[in-house]
Amino acid sequence: MAIIDASNVSRVFPMPAGPVTAVRGVSLTIAEAEHTAIKGPSGCGKSPLLHMLGCVDTPSAGTLLFDGRDVSALSDRERSLLRLRQIGFVFQRFFLLPMLTAAENVELPQAEAGVPPGERRRRSRELLDYVGLGARADHRPSQLSGGEMQRVAIARALANRPRLLLADEPTGELDEATGEQIAALLDRVNADGTALVIVTHDHELANRARRVLTMRDGRIEREDTR
Amino acid sequence: MAGAVLSAAAVLGAQEAQPPILVSRQLAALERLAVGDIVELAADARGTNARPFRIVGIYEPTPDPMRLGSVPREVRLHLPDLLALTRDPAVPAGSEHVEAINVALADPGDAQQFARDVNARLPGLVARPTGAAGPDNPFIVIERFHLAIAVVTIVAATVFLLALTIMLVDERRETVGVLRLIGLPVRRILTQVLVEGVLIASAGALFGLALAAASQGLINRFFQWRYDTALIFVRVTPEVAATCVAIAVPLGAAATVAASWALLRRGALRLARR
Repeated sequence: MAIIDASNVSRVFPMPAGPVTAVRGVSLTIAEAEHTAIKGPSGCGKSPLLHMLGCVDTPSAGTLLFDGRDVSALSDRERSLLRLRQIGFVFQRFFLLPMLTAAENVELPQAEAGVPPGERRRRSRELLDYVGLGARADHRPSQLSGGEMQRVAIARALANRPRLLLADEPTGELDEATGEQIAALLDRVNADGTALVIVTHDHELANRARRVLTMRDGRIEREDTR
Repeated sequence: MAGAVLSAAAVLGAQEAQPPILVSRQLAALERLAVGDIVELAADARGTNARPFRIVGIYEPTPDPMRLGSVPREVRLHLPDLLALTRDPAVPAGSEHVEAINVALADPGDAQQFARDVNARLPGLVARPTGAAGPDNPFIVIERFHLAIAVVTIVAATVFLLALTIMLVDERRETVGVLRLIGLPVRRILTQVLVEGVLIASAGALFGLALAAASQGLINRFFQWRYDTALIFVRVTPEVAATCVAIAVPLGAAATVAASWALLRRGALRLARR
């Protein structure tokens, strides 16, 4: 069964100058362990679509099913718990909590999910080793480089073993070499069984995916599968 | 013994036959009087009908807030001595009469009824309980005034606290946004904020009480020195402390939750993206 099944989904934002339609009648499915990239010019609706896929936002029209459940029918709390347990997010700006160490940032979602302290410490070390930052576990974000912060963010996103990892311009604030390392890490995460959806301007990053969706004016203009 | 404000006229040598008097600490200090001294007292400044008295004790006058600022230079003498001292020589002894008495009983609750009974039985005599608190009693009026000031202060402080809390919570909007994106429900974050608010408000209330407790001694000592009185100006009682905590803690917690709620109504992405 598909993790996500979106049917004719739209998102309209009310603005003082009148409503703006960011996503227009998009239909798509995301299957288990699938690797999908969504690319397109700025303002084409990539990020709003990603936020709906990640249950951060809900469609203005159409139906979005996550694991067969209609996201629009879920309460805010239910959508929060869905994000906590089934979806991982990676953002362009990392969004690590500056007062916590790398290990504590990774432990946070597990703590909220009710994982016992010993188990979550072990899992955090394991994940930081996985992303190559085992030696920096006790460092705070301010003591890490951009690439290292993004690795910690990926480890945090994987903390509760999500079925779906969503990445919004994950290499956008990184230099080319570091961006390549992060892209390789995301490939590995996907190869290990987590479905991955990446939103990006970067054609090279997009072309690493087996399926590439190109958006324009809120619609999926083209779909390429390798 | 009855109280009277008189002037010390002269210090004489030690003699045993004079009637005894008590002298207030302030008067004794001013006139350098000591127990055993003989002084001459008169009812007026010209020294009319002056009589010698022996000082048998020095006392601390009961502080009277109504007479704050006037140093109690007083003596206390037995009623017959006072009458003898103040009576017009032309008036025969025993012709004095009482127009008013102050009633103080071991159980103050009985004083009002006792005063009513006396007034009913002895027309022309006014009996009243000491410290009777009528609605026009100056201290009741002052207390109401203090209450009004306290209410205005608390309202103003609440507005200030809320503004300050909104600013502090806004400083954490990115953190809150990240927590929401990770998947923490609004209620979970509000609970966390509430716990923080209660802890901070409790710590603030305890700090305020500690500051008040520490400063009350200084304030009292300064004003007791300034007005030469034993009057207590500030007293932090358990009731006052409990009232402070009962107001401060819920107010602080409510301000924190209100400020956080205003923040949490925004979307997670809007919070995370400054």
